Amino acid sequence: MAKFIFKGGVHIPNPYPVEKPEIKQVPPPKQAVLLLQQRVGGEAKPCVEIGEHVLTGQIIAQTTGNFPTNVHASISGIISAIEKRPIPHPSGINAMCIVIDSDGKDEWVKIEKCDKEFLNCSAQEIVQKIREAGIVGMGGAGFPTHAKIDNAQGAHTLIINATECEPGIMCDDSLIQEYPREIIRGIEVLMHACGAKKVIVAIEDDKQEAFNSLLMYSFNDRISVEQIPTKYTSGAEKLLIKALLGIEIPSGAYASDHGILCQNVGTVKAIYDAVIDNRPLISRVVTVTGSGVRKPRNYEARLGTSFASVVECSEPNENQHQIRMGGMMMGVDIPNAQYSICKITNCIFVNNEEPKPVVKECIRCSSCVSVCPANLLPQQLYWHAKSENIEKALEYNLMDCIECGCCNYVCPSNIPLSEYFSFAKALDRKLKREEQKTDQSRERFEFREYRLERNKKERAEMMAAKKKALKEKMAKDKDKDQSQKDKIAAAMARVKKTKEDNA
Amino acid sequence: MMESVVIFSILTLVLGLVLGYAALRFKVKGNPLVDQIDAILPQTQCGQCNFPGCRPYAEALAKGEAQINQCPPGGQEGVDALAELLDLEVLELNAEHGETKPDHVVYVDEKLCIGCTLCIQACPVDAFVGSSKVMTTVIARECTGCDLCIPVCPVDCIYVRELKPTLGTYVPDLQGIPHG
Repeated sequence: MAKFIFKGGVHIPNPYPVEKPEIKQVPPPKQAVLLLQQRVGGEAKPCVEIGEHVLTGQIIAQTTGNFPTNVHASISGIISAIEKRPIPHPSGINAMCIVIDSDGKDEWVKIEKCDKEFLNCSAQEIVQKIREAGIVGMGGAGFPTHAKIDNAQGAHTLIINATECEPGIMCDDSLIQEYPREIIRGIEVLMHACGAKKVIVAIEDDKQEAFNSLLMYSFNDRISVEQIPTKYTSGAEKLLIKALLGIEIPSGAYASDHGILCQNVGTVKAIYDAVIDNRPLISRVVTVTGSGVRKPRNYEARLGTSFASVVECSEPNENQHQIRMGGMMMGVDIPNAQYSICKITNCIFVNNEEPKPVVKECIRCSSCVSVCPANLLPQQLYWHAKSENIEKALEYNLMDCIECGCCNYVCPSNIPLSEYFSFAKALDRKLKREEQKTDQSRERFEFREYRLERNKKERAEMMAAKKKALKEKMAKDKDKDQSQKDKIAAAMARVKKTKEDNA
Repeated sequence: MMESVVIFSILTLVLGLVLGYAALRFKVKGNPLVDQIDAILPQTQCGQCNFPGCRPYAEALAKGEAQINQCPPGGQEGVDALAELLDLEVLELNAEHGETKPDHVVYVDEKLCIGCTLCIQACPVDAFVGSSKVMTTVIARECTGCDLCIPVCPVDCIYVRELKPTLGTYVPDLQGIPHG
């Protein structure tokens, strides 16, 4: 049991529990729509053309900087489009996607087996493999894994987050029960890559089966599997560290600054696939649950599979549905099921459409304060965010808000507080960007004024110098003229004298 | 009686000297109000206020020679901020100076450009790259959207491109969040 615990958070039992979380394989889709931009970093550049035939596992878009991650074909077939498509994002903005029409063969690209045992590979080689496999944080944050490991080189402790990020999601639980051996092996790879001496796997205490199956395969005495009390937001990195080690990561700092690396258990499985099996990230485990499906279940689906075809496997009822990507607390409501699974799709909630709760005014009951796991004052932040007073909101540590939604959950007035906070954060970023731009324009304008002034001065100086030179030359010429005239006069006098002499 | 007169005279003299020295030593160069006004202005440098740039307009405002509602890119928010800073009455944006346009930058149709360099000379922030008789282009990052280059182009090859929000720059609509 974890020795420490954090303040706040809420306990929400799984609203749609199942007897045993299994993973059902979804057949490769007829068409895969693969998103080129992940949650963090820019867009990967397509390296295939429309009409080209690609094989499963082939790289179709490549990294440019450090942050974008490779995108691999999740099925074999013909590239039918490279265009902007709707993506599951609150903005409703379309983003670049590659569309593959399946040839039905699911033919894999030739995999070159690494003949070296991973222990004989250097940490850099392993990180490179992870980078090439296009792995991002599978818990939902989507931060490129290779960059995270690179930042945490020389970490003393590795924490494996198997807490299930939100109530209702079962993908971590099922993944552990299905692949305990692979996960332990993946942890060993990760230990080798970051150099950690100690590993803690954190599992919530309501997942006894998963805990048991990990214990059964964990023979490495540097890996300890620990249970922590089931409480929502214990999956948040900083809070998990606090719960396990009693270390509080200060505001603005990262876990890596304190020698700790946190990875989601789904990411560990992906690392196993990439490093041991040499298979890139082309599928993931997705939970489909909610009041609108008869069989809440976990699926392993290829990336780019449409939500609709996965939801179909869970036998949805005939009602109108509200679809939500992600958990019940932090997910994104989307208009329909015509979106596709991307690397961070951990859950699809299918709920019967119900009237939205009526939002009332804040009554300052401060329930939100007692549940805020980040020790903030949400009711104060709410006023400042609502009045767009960002400066004041920042004073109340807006940036430490993890947007977990605990405050929304307990609010008796049904105020979606976290939406206000994400608005305030976005507005702050916008204002900062604008300020930077104005400063830059001011600087460039002033430099231009200075340049024009300098050019004018330089021109005037040059003209003056030229004038001076001309004058000097003329003066010199004048002297020269005089001597010439003297010579002519002398010559004329000489001629005159000769003439006179002759006469 | 005499003593107090002497003491106070010396005190006056000493304090006077200290004040005089301080006035020279800590002299504020320029008008600090101009900087404060300039910080509010959007730095588009478009000249729609009838001054050749944001700083000259700020100087005129500081002297009280201009109205606070002459800056369309700053919008009504800008006018409000100026009114608060200068302790003046809030005015409506003066339509004579133009209207507030959405965020945009310009781009050059590179096939049509004849390399006349007129746009380069018109740009207040040196956002053009080009030279005589070669193709010219805009560094979008530097463009302020002042539109000064558009009227000077003899072949009309400069167009406006509106800046649409991207995944990185998107700000949710405050009015769209349910409220009581």
